[in-house]
Amino acid sequence: MTPRDIGRRSLSRSHSRSHRTLVRLAPAVLGWLLLGSIGTTLHGQAVADPVTVADSADAERVDSAPIHFVNDVVPILTKAGCNMGVCHAKAGNGQNGFQLSLLGFEPLEDYESLVKQARGRRLFPAVPEQSLLLLKATNRMSHVGGARLDPDSESYQVLVRWIEQGAPWGDPAAAELVSLEVRPDRGTVLPGGEQPIAAIAHYSDGSQRDVTDLALFESNDKAMAEVDESGLVTVADIPGKVAVMVRYQGKISVFNASVPLGVTVTETPPIRNFIDVGVFDNLREIGVPPSELCDDETFLRRVSLDIAGRLPTAQEANEFLASDAPDKRDQVIDRLLRSPEYADFFANKWTALLKNRRDDASDITSNFAFHAWVRDSLLANVPYDQWVRELLAATGTILTNPPVAWYKRVKQPIEQLEDVAQLFLGVRMQCAQCHHHPFERWSQDDYYGMAAFFSQIGRKPTATRGEDMIFHNRGTAQATNIKTGQPIRPAAMGETLPEIAADQDPRLKLADWMSDPENPFFAKALVNRYWKHFFRRGLIEPEDDIRDSNPPTNPELLRALEEHFVSSGYDLKSLIREITRSSAYQLSAIPNEYNLADTQNYSRYYPRRLQAEMMLDAIDDLAGSQTDFPNLPRGTRAIALPDNSYNRASPFLRVFGRPENSSVCECERTQTSSLAQSLHLMNAADVKAKLAQAGGRADRLAQADAPLEDRIDELYLAAFARRPTAEEQTIAIEYLTEPPLDADGNPIATAEPIKPNAEAFQDLIWALINAKEFLFNH
Amino acid sequence: MSRFPRSSTSTHGAVTRWLSAAWLRTALLPIAGLLLVLPLPIASAQRVCLPLPRLLSTMPMGGQAGTEVEIKITTEYVTEPVGLHFSHPGITSAPKLDDSGNPIPNEYIVAIPADCPPGIYEARIMSQLGISSSRVFSVDQLPEVTQTSPNTSLETALELPVGSICNSQMTDRSIDHYRFTAREGQRCLIHCASRSIDSKLDPVLILADELGRDLVVERRGGVIDYTVPADGTYVIKVHELTFKGGAGYFYRLSLRELEADQPHPLFASTRDVSSFSWPPTGLAETAESTEVEPNHSAELAQTIQLPCDLAGSFATAADVDTYQFQATKGDVWWIEVASARLGRPTNPSLIVQQVVQDGDKETTTEVLQLTDIPSPVKPSSNGYAYDGPPYDGGTPDLLGKLEVPADGLYRLQLTDLFGGTRTDPANVYRLVIRKAEPDFALVAWGLHMELRNGDRNALTKPIALRGGGTVALEVIAFRRDGFAGPIELTLDGLPDGVTASGLRIGPGSNRGIVLVTAHQDAPQGLTFAQFRGHAEIDGQPVTRDCPAAAPAWPITDSWGEVPRTRLEAEVPVSVGGFEVAPITIAPADPAVLEVVGNETLTIPLKHVIRGEFSGSILQLRTFGHGFEANPRFDVSLTADASEAVLDLSKLKPTPGDHVIAFYGSAVVKHRYADGEAPQDTAEIVVTEPITIRVQPTESK
Repeated sequence: MTPRDIGRRSLSRSHSRSHRTLVRLAPAVLGWLLLGSIGTTLHGQAVADPVTVADSADAERVDSAPIHFVNDVVPILTKAGCNMGVCHAKAGNGQNGFQLSLLGFEPLEDYESLVKQARGRRLFPAVPEQSLLLLKATNRMSHVGGARLDPDSESYQVLVRWIEQGAPWGDPAAAELVSLEVRPDRGTVLPGGEQPIAAIAHYSDGSQRDVTDLALFESNDKAMAEVDESGLVTVADIPGKVAVMVRYQGKISVFNASVPLGVTVTETPPIRNFIDVGVFDNLREIGVPPSELCDDETFLRRVSLDIAGRLPTAQEANEFLASDAPDKRDQVIDRLLRSPEYADFFANKWTALLKNRRDDASDITSNFAFHAWVRDSLLANVPYDQWVRELLAATGTILTNPPVAWYKRVKQPIEQLEDVAQLFLGVRMQCAQCHHHPFERWSQDDYYGMAAFFSQIGRKPTATRGEDMIFHNRGTAQATNIKTGQPIRPAAMGETLPEIAADQDPRLKLADWMSDPENPFFAKALVNRYWKHFFRRGLIEPEDDIRDSNPPTNPELLRALEEHFVSSGYDLKSLIREITRSSAYQLSAIPNEYNLADTQNYSRYYPRRLQAEMMLDAIDDLAGSQTDFPNLPRGTRAIALPDNSYNRASPFLRVFGRPENSSVCECERTQTSSLAQSLHLMNAADVKAKLAQAGGRADRLAQADAPLEDRIDELYLAAFARRPTAEEQTIAIEYLTEPPLDADGNPIATAEPIKPNAEAFQDLIWALINAKEFLFNH
Repeated sequence: MSRFPRSSTSTHGAVTRWLSAAWLRTALLPIAGLLLVLPLPIASAQRVCLPLPRLLSTMPMGGQAGTEVEIKITTEYVTEPVGLHFSHPGITSAPKLDDSGNPIPNEYIVAIPADCPPGIYEARIMSQLGISSSRVFSVDQLPEVTQTSPNTSLETALELPVGSICNSQMTDRSIDHYRFTAREGQRCLIHCASRSIDSKLDPVLILADELGRDLVVERRGGVIDYTVPADGTYVIKVHELTFKGGAGYFYRLSLRELEADQPHPLFASTRDVSSFSWPPTGLAETAESTEVEPNHSAELAQTIQLPCDLAGSFATAADVDTYQFQATKGDVWWIEVASARLGRPTNPSLIVQQVVQDGDKETTTEVLQLTDIPSPVKPSSNGYAYDGPPYDGGTPDLLGKLEVPADGLYRLQLTDLFGGTRTDPANVYRLVIRKAEPDFALVAWGLHMELRNGDRNALTKPIALRGGGTVALEVIAFRRDGFAGPIELTLDGLPDGVTASGLRIGPGSNRGIVLVTAHQDAPQGLTFAQFRGHAEIDGQPVTRDCPAAAPAWPITDSWGEVPRTRLEAEVPVSVGGFEVAPITIAPADPAVLEVVGNETLTIPLKHVIRGEFSGSILQLRTFGHGFEANPRFDVSLTADASEAVLDLSKLKPTPGDHVIAFYGSAVVKHRYADGEAPQDTAEIVVTEPITIRVQPTESK
């Protein structure tokens, strides 16, 4: 649906509702008349807190009531979609010279534009209905945007009256909007059910107004719930938590719905830690029984892939399965966390987000140094807050202080603040560079307050082109708000910090603020990002879009994770240990009869395709081959690649979505499946070459003297960390010992038992590689 | 014209310090004349500068004091070598002989005396084209081993006993492995010397367990100081940051045992060019006072007395060291800070505030801020083309003047702009506050032409003269505490047939030139010259040594590799005695030319052309303080004479004697080795010096 469609629906439906019993009067004026509350029902359901509405007896007084541009006109334009980014708020010149500010955040400019620009031709007070504004908006005059207003609607009438009144700005002393309330703000909605919600605006004079008809509604998970322009929430059959954001004049409020499945959860897997408490309490609340714990084989493969980015070896699988130790799962977790592969795997994740990108051959030194710094920090388990501090406030040269390399990639203060906010605080600030953030509380002053932290970064060129030495340039930290031209002092996400002396590097102050245990963003962003790493879905989705209007699906659990992370001293390994030790993480991916539809409550493990690098390594591990990467020692694993440059020469990595390290968003990595991937696995020369590599596993197994059953066992252990089932064993043996065929396709009888050759093992390995069980972490 | 060997009738004079050994004499067989004009068979890429001998590597790169070490060398443009020279007089060498008593090419036996102090020295090799560039040779007290076979896997790890050094060369795309055993509680210090000994290797040191699983990683050139937790076998892994290897990527890996409280030893290192300006003359080796922590705030400021010489450290992250002192109005104090010049990766910054106390209220007024010391001359930006010398004489250290505005208390705050997140007590500094002690420091390097092809290969310029050739050395002056007077340059102790002429560094100027000329018939010879600057300061004659500097490695692709320049231990001057210069341009009359200050001076020049040049014109510019503005002019590359014209009414030189010269660049065909095609070679052409006596205008 295009924005235009949304607007059209909005106006055609908002005033045609007959089933709504709420008395909703002229939105521009009547809402102001506080004539008492009435009991209210929507769709036959009671609204928890009745909305104060007007009495129809006052309707006549409305016509003569003065219209206020900000409070009455702008909301209509916003609801009609006139000031959307694709319409008249389009950057540059709007549409055909008619420019409005995005979502009406700059009403003064909008007033100028409507009333004064173009020699005032947009309004015609003598005959308001003939105003260009209304002719276009109703499509009575050709309008690319189509009909945005119904001439019969109240909104239209308000605009007419406003023009009639001489298009006033309005009383300068008029009450100002101070907050927006949604009623109800939370509730339980059964699958398939509906819930109307109302938007109530609160003003500086204490008055309130029902602005439901003028508010904008948006669900944060459209698969779970949709909301129409009148605020009617319709829930699908997916259990869990869903939020509906309500926006009005820059204010935000959220309706949180709990959608229960309603099954009584009598039993859960054992509670191992606070994570299980959080997950299983939630499952009990929404009535979704969790799956059982996964078996040892599944656990070993899953945790090895998730922590170390690799398959367990056949020997590791054998030993693990043979072990009777009651804590053998915990032991594996600790061993993996100590392994260099853990550091390699997570360094791969972080360096992509930190844009370790090779654009020029001379980038190699800085990229290798930066990757190594990340990897070494993870290996040494440097506390996360310290690690971020070293990055944020890096100074010196790349060789002596590798995090300086980040400043080679991210050169401007606005890029720096945006990346830092999104990556480490989970906040997307980009919008606020040019206008108030449409979905959040961030203003341009907030944006430039963050930019000010990076305003005193000094650069001195080095002998390597494109590389600078970074130092703190002594002076007053400030950035200029491009809109107002005003200098803005450092403020951390709107929070003003004590004055920063000219000698102090403001970035260190930002790092201090971030690592404060009370910081509402820093720990939350990290635990949510890591949660997603292990559970496929963040408690907040997307993981780097944390905002009031996008609440977590399990706030209690998120809070507990934050508390653990902070109290552990920002210990990343401890966080991972807690997560992977939990029963919640160790649930089976196989759904029970209830939880197939669950996609956000972690009632089962959500399978996902292996990442490109993991899959390439997994194939090499299974095939007993190596991928040769330029400039790196032979045998270097794909998860240990320091930058994106290796994608160019590797169709495999490209096809399976390895990112180019150009974005701070994890979404740059493509995890979807495609036909190209299937074809690559089935036919690509590089995959075939791995299977046939001299000295590879197929070769070795063909030459081995061990019983065929053992050799097949080894293959399955290496591929799936399990032994084959009896049926799989039988099929494999039959295939491997198939007699050769003659020219007519008939089996050739042989005196000796058939000894499988390398080609037969290659085929078997190829079949295993193409199995979903291999391609997915499950 | 191909190579320009002198005729077979040329004499080979004595090679200073070299010809006493019999093996040297055998190496110095007369070279048959090869002065032939050969056709150019194939067009080839243009070379930058005529070949100059270079010693590229030695393996091993050092040895234990009191032992003999067999070394293998690799070289460039070294033919008919006549011996290795070391900058420590006690280190001697002889060719390694095969079973038949014949020298094995490029192999030597080096004897290191037992009393040779541990440290780094320089090796050079003398040959037909003269003395080579230098390569660091280290001496230590620990026993040494040399890597002889690949140790690029855990299985092939080389045993390295605690208390030993291994000399190795990195294999491309590989990780070298070493294995050692240690006992619980043993403190081991692992160090990899590389950049500090002329290697191209940026080392990554990894200490791993027996199975090769990483335990500790050091990537910034530091040490691993590890107290062993349990008896057992451990593995050291070494690789280049970007896994480069091959010639030039050598290193010395040391594994030492330290007592629990023993400080780290100082590891010797070559000195960066920018450190030529440190220390000030006469500065005590140890500072008079030391920093006392805590002093990180105004309230905790450490009180000092002026003058002051203090040693401190940017020990903690975002360290701020605060000092306060009383000063008297009108006093002038010079403040100098060294940290980067001590080899630390720091960037000091300093402010001085006047502190006025009014009851409980304190007011501060900033009176001085110091940041980097700029290079005395603008260095090249290291872009594709040169736009200055590729040596940066500047430093992040500090030097400035405090003029005290009023009697009272002053607070000095010293920080490290690179130290915001780093805690390392090794980041030391020296703070000196003194009354003006005007002085200067010098450094010199071979002049390089401006080129657009990014070739840094020719920057390694040992003073290896061809007969009839003149080379120019660029000399840079660092002026301290307001000294602005002229500096005369001298180069003494030269081989037979070699003369040097210093072109003065004028008042206030930071650049001068020294010309070194070999007579056409100068015999092969080598001396270690005394390069000095002379000035009069406060009525007293002052002489300062001028070290030479050079890139550690010739680099052909400056896009892929940044030249690293360092100071050298000696100033060797040599004549190869085999080749002659392709052209000599000299004043027709060597007598002093007298001229009145506002007249035009015509200088007849004579040419001796021995090479075949591309083109017939050589465009010349002028060296000499006050004469650089002389417009470029052309001389013929085919005629045997030309004229230079100086319009003194425009140049307005000061009355007195001036030494000038002209220089330009030309492309000459040169063949280095028999059978090679002649190669177009861009070469700097410098005339012999010309002395002009400028008379005051009114004297005539």
